[in-house]
Amino acid sequence: MEWKEEGDKRPLSQRPEWSDVTPVPQDDGPNPVVPIAYKDDFTETMDYFRAVYFADERSLRSLHVTAEAILMNAGNYTVWHFRRLILEALNADLHEELDFIKKVANGNPKNYQIWHHRRWVAEKLGTDATSEELDFTKKILSLDAKNYHAWSHRQWVLQELGGWEDELDYCKQLLEDDIFNNSAWNQRYFVITKSPFLGGLEAMRESEVNYTVGAIIAKPENESPWRYLRGLYKDDTQSWVNDPQVSSVCLKVLSAKRSTVFALSTLLDLLCHGFQPSQDFINAVDALKTPDLDLSDSNLATAVCSVLGRMDPMRVNYWTWRKNKLPAQTA
Amino acid sequence: MDSQWSSSSFFDREKHVVFLQMMNQLLPADYQGQEINRLTLAYFAISGLHILGALDQVDKEEVSSWVLSLQAHPRNEAELNNGQFFGFHGSRSSQFPRDDNGVLIHNGSHLASTYCALAILKIVGYNFSCINSKSILTSMRNLQQPDGSFMPTHVGAETDLRFVFCAAAICSMLENWSGMDKEKAKEYILNCQSYDGGFGLIPGSESHGGATYCAVASLQLMGFIENDILSKSSSSSIINVPLLLDWSLQRQAADGGFQGRANKASDTCYAFWVGGVLRILGGYKFIDKKALHRFLLTCQSQYGGFSKFPGQLPDLYHSYYGFSAFSMLEEPGLIPICVELGIADIAAIGH
Repeated sequence: MEWKEEGDKRPLSQRPEWSDVTPVPQDDGPNPVVPIAYKDDFTETMDYFRAVYFADERSLRSLHVTAEAILMNAGNYTVWHFRRLILEALNADLHEELDFIKKVANGNPKNYQIWHHRRWVAEKLGTDATSEELDFTKKILSLDAKNYHAWSHRQWVLQELGGWEDELDYCKQLLEDDIFNNSAWNQRYFVITKSPFLGGLEAMRESEVNYTVGAIIAKPENESPWRYLRGLYKDDTQSWVNDPQVSSVCLKVLSAKRSTVFALSTLLDLLCHGFQPSQDFINAVDALKTPDLDLSDSNLATAVCSVLGRMDPMRVNYWTWRKNKLPAQTA
Repeated sequence: MDSQWSSSSFFDREKHVVFLQMMNQLLPADYQGQEINRLTLAYFAISGLHILGALDQVDKEEVSSWVLSLQAHPRNEAELNNGQFFGFHGSRSSQFPRDDNGVLIHNGSHLASTYCALAILKIVGYNFSCINSKSILTSMRNLQQPDGSFMPTHVGAETDLRFVFCAAAICSMLENWSGMDKEKAKEYILNCQSYDGGFGLIPGSESHGGATYCAVASLQLMGFIENDILSKSSSSSIINVPLLLDWSLQRQAADGGFQGRANKASDTCYAFWVGGVLRILGGYKFIDKKALHRFLLTCQSQYGGFSKFPGQLPDLYHSYYGFSAFSMLEEPGLIPICVELGIADIAAIGH
């Protein structure tokens, strides 16, 4: 069963292998809203699809017409569903199907139905498909490192079929390409928490904190590593508050006086959770104040909110609200 | 006068109405690829006209009949319980007649189409007691998975938060929660909250504006979180609200628009998805409305409608969410929306 690269380009009505089939038009009925100006070739392909679908003909020519219909409209889940029935009936070579999907995905990398179909095939192939699936998603991600579907599929492959060994390295490489790639940070979190080779979040915490602090120092304006750092202490806020690496990276960034917004908001959160700041913190925040701010009477948390209102004016209403909500005894 | 500039300095309601009227009359062939979801396109057009205060352009009876003609009905009790979902088809292209023996073999009912169908019927004021809701609610349960998520069709498809939202919205509009196991759905939603406070579409995936809307709107509809929780003194919640609030607010980028994920470009539709989350939580007052207004106008097309990014051609999806975003910004002439259902307030409350 070959997937013909250069298929018959004649209209279906002119192809001999279809001469016995009567195409079935769409029964549209009245069209009060959003009718679509279908092109003729689209209409014809779908008319022939309807014919074999209705007759439940699970043959090779049916398979071919589903391919043509899919290439015109990859979103039609009815066509995909029937294609799956045909593939099963014909006991088709599913490795070839992976090639077909690759071809369709090239033009439609963000289509849900294609990825669902890919998963269906991979599920049937099982661990035989592991390296091919990791390769496929890697290729898609090399074109768009944030393709949400590719990441979901890749996570599914890892969990169902395995292949974890090189995943942390892959994340590291993607982050070297682009330290701002939030999808790669998310995948990193996924790997350190779920990989059977790595021992889990707590075991990985120390090395991950080191890595993340490095990323923050390199680009303090990057939201991703700040969120990731907090995430390393998920469900254990006290350890996050008590880890000297967390507060010290805030201090470093504040002292450098560049791109301080995330350092300030992290410090604010630490203070709200009971962090006891040293004089260094008070001095660093003080050094950031603008002439119009009178911070002399403020406690540190209040001062931080005021400075944030200036440094991050888009969210000034939020920082004011945070200031008003501060418990009286915050440092 | 430079016409591109003039369409960017104010919200051009009249032009948007004309745009929707044109789309309503005939969609260009570019929309072929979305034909299976024609009901969704209809929802964008009709709900859009409603929000713009132009619902009088719509023939309500014609629309109701067309929408209802897309519903799949079981022949009898046995058929209702055979594992299929009896909801609405997205279009004729997935709707087929019964075979010669009267058996319904090809049932392409879809959860998202069902949501759109009911939303449209609410908008045009159709009498809901005339809807066969029992078959929808009974058969919907076949779509819920053991982990609490929902599949959109019974023949098999991807499962994720989008369809949990559709299910919750359907039950809410039908005022009947027998269509789903709310507890299980809640568990699935909670499993989707990421380490950074936002929600991914499936557990483990990256926080995303659209997924976060689906999570928060569903929890609100199901009654698991209160509306305007930030104003309430109770500090406990089943989700990490402070982290979610911080994450959501951070989605407003330097250009004033909202992004769907950290470090990605701003896109018109997230003004609704993420703006909607903030509205539900009671945190919409924290955004920079002027900056958002400015950004959205750069996505306003001189032909009417909105595009995803500044300077591109408009499409129906981004237009609809652009209108919804302007409604939330209280643009004069636009009617208020019920964020968690995605329809005008007045439609949600009922005529």
